[in-house]
Amino acid sequence: MSDAQDRQDGAAPLEIEVDGLRKTFGRREVLKGLSFVVRRGGFLSIFGPNGAGKTTTLRMLATLLTPSGGTVKVAGHDVREDPMPVRRAIGFISHNAMLYPDLTAQENLRFYADMYGVDDREARITELLERLELSARRHDVVRTYSKGMRQRLAIARAVLHRPRVLLLDEPHSGLDPRAVDILDGLLTEIRDEHTFVMVTHNIAKGLEWGTELMIIEGGRIAYEHAAGVDHDSFSAVYREHVHDGSVV
Amino acid sequence: MNSQRGGAIDQGAAGAPVRGWAQFKAIVRKDLIRELRTRDMIVSMILFVLLAMVIFHYAFSVKEGADLTYFTGGMLWVTFIFAMLLGLNRSFAQEKDEHCLDGLLLCPVDRVTIFLAKTVGNLVFLLIIQAVAVPVFTLFFIERSYLGDVLPFLIVLLLADVGICALGTLLATISMNTRSRDLLLPILLLPLIVPVLIAATGATTLIFAEGAGLADLLARVLFLLGFDAVFLVAAWGTYDFAIGE
Repeated sequence: MSDAQDRQDGAAPLEIEVDGLRKTFGRREVLKGLSFVVRRGGFLSIFGPNGAGKTTTLRMLATLLTPSGGTVKVAGHDVREDPMPVRRAIGFISHNAMLYPDLTAQENLRFYADMYGVDDREARITELLERLELSARRHDVVRTYSKGMRQRLAIARAVLHRPRVLLLDEPHSGLDPRAVDILDGLLTEIRDEHTFVMVTHNIAKGLEWGTELMIIEGGRIAYEHAAGVDHDSFSAVYREHVHDGSVV
Repeated sequence: MNSQRGGAIDQGAAGAPVRGWAQFKAIVRKDLIRELRTRDMIVSMILFVLLAMVIFHYAFSVKEGADLTYFTGGMLWVTFIFAMLLGLNRSFAQEKDEHCLDGLLLCPVDRVTIFLAKTVGNLVFLLIIQAVAVPVFTLFFIERSYLGDVLPFLIVLLLADVGICALGTLLATISMNTRSRDLLLPILLLPLIVPVLIAATGATTLIFAEGAGLADLLARVLFLLGFDAVFLVAAWGTYDFAIGE
């Protein structure tokens, strides 16, 4: 759909466009032609069993994997042809923190700020560390952090350069309740300013945040629906499509 | 989060491209800070180099008065290349920790900038090792003073180091994602680096044994220069592929 058409319809422009996405690893076809769109300000929750292709999809949106077929556009740029603007536009939060354990929190954030060319580096780092309640430990090496603290710092890393699209790969995985509260509080604050794609096994969280819901099974979209589905109904739908018992 | 900056968040995402020089400095600084803090790469390399020299010293002192002059270049470069193998394996192992490589690849950075920064980082570590090893080596094995030939020696050292680090960084990147990376790196690197080792060994031996000047070493120096250029250009063209999936 064109921007002109969007303006005419009053709909938000497309932020993510995936068309016929395929991915093979050797002879194994992991994704078999996924197509979907996410509009600016939307929140797509992706569910599915382990090995369904959820994280592979997310990593292709993030330019970490190259599609074997089909097209992916993020923020108007093709991930294969024009990856640099895509990388500037996205923040990626995974259950892997992507932080250097032997550097302090401040050194990690300074490194990423320099890599993204953040102009107000020190002010931005201070702002994020205070918001994520890590100021007191900013000079400690990350190796000494708890899982929850690392995940909070990973959030700071991901939003440091003010991305417009946030990709979340099991962001609540392994977090204690306090860290979950902080993450949810942060998502609430930035919800209106970003477009989100979240891969999760946690149906409650996926339904809470998602404006669009999707189940991927065997490399294909098994179910798509706009938000507004209650937990029990969605769980029933999930069980109908997926039989691995991974519903939380 | 500063919600008042909502507009700035969107604009920041599409802001001006980050300059490669700033990113290059950031990667080098990060690697140096990390290594100076943990010292896990430098210490193992220095220990290996010192141990090798002590073993060489006792091996060759079995026969008193043996002339080692024409073995010196070989001993030195064999020691350096194996020490560097230890370092190269470590330099990418740290990027795999906590999936830091993903974090690096998510940044809007040209892959060649990553290559150059990693190569320079490895070069700095190798030069630190050599700053420790060469005086010890001189003390153990060199009988004549080569003070007058320090400049040609440093040129040969630097050119060979650049070749070793450029090729080593490229191959360490390729082997990083394999299950047997510790085994694969020497298998890939050693055959390809042999031309550099031959040229550097010959030049170093001539300097230590006969006090050769730059004019005497011209062919070897030009060869090293050519090798460096070829592998820097090769890495330039292939690094995006090498560091990808």
